[in-house]
Amino acid sequence: MSVHDEAPEGMTRLIGADEVREGDVRKVRLAGVEPIAVCRIDGGYFATQDGCSHAKASLSEGWIEGHDICCPVHDGRFDVRDGRPMCFPATDPIRTFPVQVIDGTVFADLRGARTDQEVSA
Amino acid sequence: MSVSQVQEPHPADAIRSPRPPQFPALPDPRLVFEIEQFLYREARLLDEERYEEWLGLLTEDVHYWMPGIQARYRNDTSGGPISERMAFYDDDLLNLRRRVTRFMHATAWAEDPATRACHIINNVEVELTDTEGDYRVYSTFVNCRGRNEAEESWLAGRRTDLLRRDAEGALRLARREIYITQTVLLAKNLNVFL
Amino acid sequence: MSEQLEEEVWARPSAESLRQLVDLQKGRISPRIFWDDAIYRLELERIFARCWIFVAHESQVASPGDFLTTTIGEDGVIVARGNDGQVRVFLNACPHRGNRVCFAEAGNARRFTCNYHGWAFGRDGALLGLPAEEIYEKTCPDFDKSELGLMQARVASYKGLLFATFDPAAPSLDDYLGDYRWYLDVILDTDEGGTEFLTGNIKSWIDCNWKVPAENFVGDALHAQWTHNSGAVAMLGSGVGKAKQDSVYQANTNGHGMQFGFDMVGNIMTLGEPELVQYIRERETLVAERLGKVRSRMVAAMGSATLFPHFSFLAGLNTIRTWNPRGPHRTELHTWVLVNKDAPASLKAKYRRGVMRTFSPSGTLEMDDGENWENATRTAAGVVARRQKLHYGLGLNSKVEHEELPGNVHLRKFNDSNQRAFYGRWLDLLCAEDWSQVPGGR
Repeated sequence: MSVHDEAPEGMTRLIGADEVREGDVRKVRLAGVEPIAVCRIDGGYFATQDGCSHAKASLSEGWIEGHDICCPVHDGRFDVRDGRPMCFPATDPIRTFPVQVIDGTVFADLRGARTDQEVSA
Repeated sequence: MSVSQVQEPHPADAIRSPRPPQFPALPDPRLVFEIEQFLYREARLLDEERYEEWLGLLTEDVHYWMPGIQARYRNDTSGGPISERMAFYDDDLLNLRRRVTRFMHATAWAEDPATRACHIINNVEVELTDTEGDYRVYSTFVNCRGRNEAEESWLAGRRTDLLRRDAEGALRLARREIYITQTVLLAKNLNVFL
Repeated sequence: MSEQLEEEVWARPSAESLRQLVDLQKGRISPRIFWDDAIYRLELERIFARCWIFVAHESQVASPGDFLTTTIGEDGVIVARGNDGQVRVFLNACPHRGNRVCFAEAGNARRFTCNYHGWAFGRDGALLGLPAEEIYEKTCPDFDKSELGLMQARVASYKGLLFATFDPAAPSLDDYLGDYRWYLDVILDTDEGGTEFLTGNIKSWIDCNWKVPAENFVGDALHAQWTHNSGAVAMLGSGVGKAKQDSVYQANTNGHGMQFGFDMVGNIMTLGEPELVQYIRERETLVAERLGKVRSRMVAAMGSATLFPHFSFLAGLNTIRTWNPRGPHRTELHTWVLVNKDAPASLKAKYRRGVMRTFSPSGTLEMDDGENWENATRTAAGVVARRQKLHYGLGLNSKVEHEELPGNVHLRKFNDSNQRAFYGRWLDLLCAEDWSQVPGGR
């Protein structure tokens, strides 16, 4: 057990840093919180809501192009740095969460996240 | 919604501030005239089925290419017509001679009664190339064929030619690329040069 | 997979009335079969929506996401390779409002999204998602995404050729092809590496009934020396050679047919590419080891073939084509070039050019065919012309047994026996209400 199983103040452990390959995106499910998409771009890590803001789709089943996460259903794109929609049919931004990588573990501040009940309602 | 509420679109920079295109300098009008007349005369030779004379307008190393056209999505990375794909024409001089041999044969049943062809050549643009005596020539065509009583078939397209001045000073066709607008050729055959 | 869907109710021509149009004993056929709207409509139902229909060569959809669009009868279909490597065929019509889903003729796609309301389907045809999905979930009690994918056909392949059918009761592809596989191997299995289609597909419209060219390729050897004299002069320097009759056969099975000799290179000579003739000659021993001596002499021999209903080819010359129905009086011809995958690139280029300059809309040989086929259809507009029974009586007494050739074998090149077999199959399928009524069930 590493010392950082204990999360820093306000942060939640998401995933091991080496579990996300460069240019890839992974889905993280945590009890009580909406699913989170974690991606790695140029060695940096980003966390966003996993559910597409357009229709019903899991963004982690899509792919990364540049700094965009691309929806696998309708090709909507969102900039993972600030969540803004980049092209049709996406119009509403997605939530993004501040990330810290400490000793090979990705943490995020999920205090702005919805609960899983809220997103499935 | 009142007019004042209508939002301006947000065009890309290139649309908001378009720049005029950079065309090459116009060549000498006498050259343009000469090339236009070459293309018109060539078209008349074809309309009049003077195929031996038409062959005489071609260089020994002529390449005559009319690719098949496919409807592909804009994001298709395999690009537009490419030489590896099937083509209506992908001929050297030998094979153009073979085609002419058929056209002129008494048993070319689909040519008797004769197909009545009319080539309309337009939008001729001439560009000089890096090689002295080689000219890149753009043109468009409309081709109408009439057969038997009431059969009619239309084709339109763009051409990019390479014309070359030979040792005697005459213009010859060295290369022709023909791009038609149809993906499915809306005719039973293509018994015409374009 | 496709389930048997409800048939339309309409006044179908009776089996009795159809049998009066085709007299196989005497070899007489009514031109009505090339003209009549009701017969055409019945063909779409009982032949194209029922038989195994060629849709693609596996090489055309080699990688996951590769797709092409084509038709089965007048039904548009998408042929796509999924992420699991499997090729599927689905209807190119959205289950929501019926709009065409994919408009490109070929390419690579992550998914297929309908332009109309944005229903998005995966490479496997399943409905991935749709805008306003949550409203569907709230307001449609029976909403079930898993039932709203693109309608799937059964798919099967034979040595690289992919076939599909929407009829769940159809026999297996192997049963459907039967002994014809032995003949298909002449083009598909002469080399260890298998075959591929060269890229591209030339399409054209011929205003003829689809059966006219299909029957021409199944066995009409007679037309070649007359129709194609000018093309042969152009490509070979002389007309089509006087045909040998005593060592040339017509063979058919389940309506599929091939007419062929053992001259090994007669077809490929026509391409006007000596290196290709050389390629065939050099491989004779190799092919004989794979397929036996008889077939090694058939690989590029003078001849032609149709796999029922609408897939035709010329062995060795390697044109592959389908005659796609577009109404009783219009056929959309799709042509491709088949090559051995391991053939040298320079020879593949010669095949591509050679096939296109002989058998394509601009081909020196094919140009004269279209003229005949259109007018052999068009004359049937006349009431009196439709009353005339056309003569298909050549070779009525030509059936032979041959110890190596499978199927129904007939001796002599000039022979209508394959064409009669084609129309016999056509009649069997048209008269049958389902596969159980088709003789032999296959």
